[in-house]
Amino acid sequence: MRDAGPWITAAHPTFAALIDEKHLVSKLYNMVNVPTGVWIDEQGYIVRPNEVAFVDDRFKNFTGLDSAPYLNALKDWVEEGPKSAYVMPADKLQQKLTVSAPDSILASAEFGLGEYLYKSGRLAEAIPHFKQAQKLNPKDWNYKRQAYALSDAKRDYGTSFAEEVEKNGGSKVYYTPPDLPGASSGKPK
Amino acid sequence: MTLRIALFLLVVTAFVSAQNLRSTTVIYDDIATAVEPARPDASQLWTTTSDLKRATGFEVKPQGVCRDELCFPLPKVRRKEFIGRDAGKQSFNLTAFAQLVHQPVVHDEGAGIWYFGLRADQRQGLASLRAPDFTLPDMEGKMHRLSGLRGKKVFLITWASW
Repeated sequence: MRDAGPWITAAHPTFAALIDEKHLVSKLYNMVNVPTGVWIDEQGYIVRPNEVAFVDDRFKNFTGLDSAPYLNALKDWVEEGPKSAYVMPADKLQQKLTVSAPDSILASAEFGLGEYLYKSGRLAEAIPHFKQAQKLNPKDWNYKRQAYALSDAKRDYGTSFAEEVEKNGGSKVYYTPPDLPGASSGKPK
Repeated sequence: MTLRIALFLLVVTAFVSAQNLRSTTVIYDDIATAVEPARPDASQLWTTTSDLKRATGFEVKPQGVCRDELCFPLPKVRRKEFIGRDAGKQSFNLTAFAQLVHQPVVHDEGAGIWYFGLRADQRQGLASLRAPDFTLPDMEGKMHRLSGLRGKKVFLITWASW
């Protein structure tokens, strides 16, 4: 609240902006980075899964991602509903959403315990659990970014966010682009 | 001399037991509760059934281990793995139950904390494509429930200030 609050206040959102101190949404939806978007239809069913969701171009130089195709796709779905070409078929959705790797499931618990210890003022005891979460699920950037932000990353983890991005191919491949049909034109083929 | 050694060992045993029975924190559904372990076992967590209810909301019933409408039957042949009797009270093996319901558990022995993650039933929402429900507060503390938005399209987007 202390960190995110000023940003929310400055944005004057017309939608609900919620505070998720315990990373509940990430846990429930298996999200591994931010910004991540999910589309949910009127009946409460997911029609597009977790994917990178930039809604402006402020990080375009870093990521190489243009927000326009994703925003156009989003508008198309709002207007067309289930007829939109951007609504993903159920089998593909299930494939993208389901995570059954035991290590990933255990990583979530390690991270949760680390968070509890940190919030109890026990950073030194939290670090081994944050490290274990990162080891069990190295694809989860939330585990890295949150842990690094809570301490001196170089001292406690021997690395930094920038170094980790470079290790993974640099900022232009850091985010996997959204899997949109006809993404280059912003319209489905 | 033999008696002294025997007494010393007795004292050490009592000390170790007391250490293992020291107050423990259980984190379940991200809520922390202090409990008194019912059995000195560093590898498993046995609680009294009253602590089970307090820490998790679950109760041992004839049909299984239940919380509201949710009920997990215990395999009859394995009942002793889950339910015991310690110091005259019924006890329950919460770590064995976690294994039964495919729930990840992390134990920090030094800190005296057991963390229980999401059970399989809590993770299954995604396979059905039904958006997992949650309730979270806004800046003013007003609670918002995702399922309260039925009838509207929802664009759920997450970000962090780190």
